Amino acid sequence: MRPVKRYWTRRLGGAACVVAIVLVANFFLFRLMPGDPVATVLDPRFSPEAKAQLEALYGLDQPLGVQFLLYLRRMATFDFGLSFSTQRPVLEEILERLPNTLALLVPAYLLSVLLGTVLGVIAARRRGHLAEKAVLAAGAVSFSFPSFFVQMVLLLLFAYVFPVFPLRGSLSIPPPEGTWRILADRIWHLALPVFSLVLLGFGGWALTVRNLVVKVMGEDFMILARAKGIGERRLLWGHALRAALPPLLTLFLLSLPGVVSGAVLTETVFSLHGVGRFLLDSVLGQDYPAAGGAFYLLTLITVGSNLLADFLVQLADPRIKTGGEESR
Amino acid sequence: MIEIEGLSVSYRSGKKEEQALSGVSLSLPSGQITGLVGESGSGKTTLVMAILGLLPPEARVAGRILVDGVDVVGMAENERDRFRWRRVALVPQGSQNAFNPVLSIGSQVAEPLRVHRGLGRREAERRARMLLDEVGLGSKAAERFPHELSGGQRQRAALAMALSCDPAFLLADEPTTALDVLIQAEIADLLKRAVRERKMGMALVTHDLPLASGLCETICVLDGGRLVETILAKDLARGAKHPRTRALVAALLEMEGNLS
Amino acid sequence: MKMRWSAWVLAVFLFCGFLLPLFLKGDPREPVAAPFSKPVWADRTQAPAMSLTVPTGEAGKTFSWSWEAPRGLSVTGEVLFAKTPSKAALIWETPAGAKWVLSDLSGQNRWTLDLDARDMAFRISLGLSPFDESLRGLFDKHGMIRVRIESDVPVERSSLLVKIPGERWGLFGTDQRGRDVFLLFLYGIRVSLFVGILAVLVSSLIGLDAGLVAGYVGGAADTFLMRTVDVLLSVPLLPVLMVLAALWGKGLWQLVLILGLFSWMGTARTVRSMALSFREAPYVEGLRALGAPTFYILARHGIPTVLPLLLANIALGVPGVILSEAALAYLGLSDPRVISWGRMLHEAQSFGAFTTGAWWLLLPPGLGIALLCLAFMDLGRALEEWADPRLKGGRA
Repeated sequence: MRPVKRYWTRRLGGAACVVAIVLVANFFLFRLMPGDPVATVLDPRFSPEAKAQLEALYGLDQPLGVQFLLYLRRMATFDFGLSFSTQRPVLEEILERLPNTLALLVPAYLLSVLLGTVLGVIAARRRGHLAEKAVLAAGAVSFSFPSFFVQMVLLLLFAYVFPVFPLRGSLSIPPPEGTWRILADRIWHLALPVFSLVLLGFGGWALTVRNLVVKVMGEDFMILARAKGIGERRLLWGHALRAALPPLLTLFLLSLPGVVSGAVLTETVFSLHGVGRFLLDSVLGQDYPAAGGAFYLLTLITVGSNLLADFLVQLADPRIKTGGEESR
Repeated sequence: MIEIEGLSVSYRSGKKEEQALSGVSLSLPSGQITGLVGESGSGKTTLVMAILGLLPPEARVAGRILVDGVDVVGMAENERDRFRWRRVALVPQGSQNAFNPVLSIGSQVAEPLRVHRGLGRREAERRARMLLDEVGLGSKAAERFPHELSGGQRQRAALAMALSCDPAFLLADEPTTALDVLIQAEIADLLKRAVRERKMGMALVTHDLPLASGLCETICVLDGGRLVETILAKDLARGAKHPRTRALVAALLEMEGNLS
Repeated sequence: MKMRWSAWVLAVFLFCGFLLPLFLKGDPREPVAAPFSKPVWADRTQAPAMSLTVPTGEAGKTFSWSWEAPRGLSVTGEVLFAKTPSKAALIWETPAGAKWVLSDLSGQNRWTLDLDARDMAFRISLGLSPFDESLRGLFDKHGMIRVRIESDVPVERSSLLVKIPGERWGLFGTDQRGRDVFLLFLYGIRVSLFVGILAVLVSSLIGLDAGLVAGYVGGAADTFLMRTVDVLLSVPLLPVLMVLAALWGKGLWQLVLILGLFSWMGTARTVRSMALSFREAPYVEGLRALGAPTFYILARHGIPTVLPLLLANIALGVPGVILSEAALAYLGLSDPRVISWGRMLHEAQSFGAFTTGAWWLLLPPGLGIALLCLAFMDLGRALEEWADPRLKGGRA
């Protein structure tokens, strides 16, 4: 089982590398850039003593090396300090928003992958038919239309012209009474963002699935599978899609970092109370602890999902186990 | 019994029309092995694919192919699926690419049993292991994946898969190509035994005349998409009339001479 | 080769972005009409912008009115009477026959007027409600409206100008500050093209070098470069760009550099795989055997080999960069003084395009970005086919 070990050494090493680089970059980017972080929260009329006190609070009076070590310890324990703007612990702020972001992203990406896969396989089978043309068009749209523009148009259509969905927010103000009502209200607020992400996401996914399945359909083993008389359904889903699964998972893995970008933009368009929007507000407000913490956590989540997807690729592709060809 | 009457196959690529088979008539009787011999491009693989209805959609087929008296040429795909593997099974060349690379050998052998015989997964896989044992691979091979087997082992697995639904007829497409000589002989023996024990008919597609003359009763020689000669294997040395056959025989004799 | 549609689109964009503004008067940053005016072709029941001079004669200025009552009206200019009139006024006669005195002009032979319907005093003097936005009293129904100077002495000179800002303006309407969206759209083309093309050139240059070194030199350099590519591909791009744009500054050149630095990975991979097969090519092995220096082989033979595909890669890379630039600008991370399509969308979102339903603020920049991206993708496909004719027809 040596090849499996090597595969994982490589993957884990890569993940550790990403985290290390992000940690270092985070530290230096937020510290060495022009502008005095304390100055941004301080009224210039503050006394020098108050300023020094504040610098000590954020550990900014120590030498850089000590600062870095302190910083590493804090990152390891997810202690990102207090947000400049709200004076609350950054971790608390992020954890408060994380469920909203997950409630947006998880259903959206599951649905678009599901829809994209089904449509992609159908398009691959019915080459030249309407299904294939639709998939090609949807793919072109998702690669060339700015996502936030499509979302803005949807918002204008379904929240202004036909006011079916709310214009902004994750929850009505004031929130309704009762658990079920709150849940329904949240779903009502999330429906349009999720729908828009599915609309934007499924086309590219369907196009990928279609291309891979078309390629697999041309392979020799598909002739044997067809000769076995196992029926079109097994042929497509059991053989063609199954054989295309490892590269599909690899592509899914590569698309994960983009999911985070999608969260930032979507939460901005629909004014959702999520981590992406939090990152944007901190960046715009030069709230360094908050921006650094949110960025670091988002990277950790991406790297973690990457490893999970790697594990799935390994499960799906027997060739990795015995050191056949690497799928990536 | 498979009877082929006036079979023509042509491909259209752009404005060019390419004739792969023209007016081939021959019969592949049950209970014996018929060789389909010819060089690459002679149309022998097209013939096999036409019987199973595996030609690409742009191929145009004319003529009749009677499998036990039923014409399979204009059949719909779901009708074809009912005679594929139950009546006629394919033994492909056991290259790496003949099997789905991400499915285990056992599940690929068991698949036709589940579809055509309606067996449950457990029962189908038990039978698959028996079949793999029968072709000399050992039941352990069921858990392995195509890339873990050697060429000869894959060829045996392909045979096990072909035998799974007890077909009346086997179509073996270059079953020994790309194997080394000793293994070629083993596979040839295995095929011969399987056909004899199960009283099947078989068409052996090969460019290898020595192999065909060793295994087959009748040999059909194809050249440029036409059937040029049908001859009993034992008459091969003296009775060949067509120049193409004679050339093949001459090459064969020369090789034997070199060996002895 | 047949002219692809994308080539036409790009030609039109280039013309509109770089040549057309030279012939059009006006600064895109200056307001030209009422804020949130619709495009002229959009809603025919709303009034277009108008400006009318009031002549000296007794008949005054007559014009036909067939729209809904507007919200804005202004009268500016000078009136000079031959001698001081004892009784004079600027009269507004409505289609329904009502007569309004816009301004009393008696007792003085020179008047400078600056009336605006937004002034409370003016509204009240006309008997209009200070709360009702539209000027229903002055525009009581469709028909002819007359504005004239009524006086007991002749009018010597008048430069009175009646302006109705209207609710419709220009090809694409106006934004929240009353700026011409069409002009903004034209100026936005420049930024998208400039950033898109330059950033891709930067990234292609990096990707070309990295790919050639990784593929041709191989060894530790290959491992290092490909690891770097893996790392860059597994970091969320937009947050990185956001942080860098916020910290480094929002200027166009910084943007070009940032986007270029973070989008060379695909090119590097493509070039690397080409360089791998290039290294094994017989004539290259021959050159090596003859002792040709690596740099010479790569510069003289390597780059020309990968160039056609690199060109296709450049064209195919532009949409990604344009979209990233637009996303950053949309998030508010661009220089507010630079007009760009992303910035237009940002302002549309921030200044109430949704609460006023101002679709004309969204569609021009958004569709502009999409069309430009589609055109570059088509161009890239064409270049790909040119570089590798086998692709022709094979790809649907």
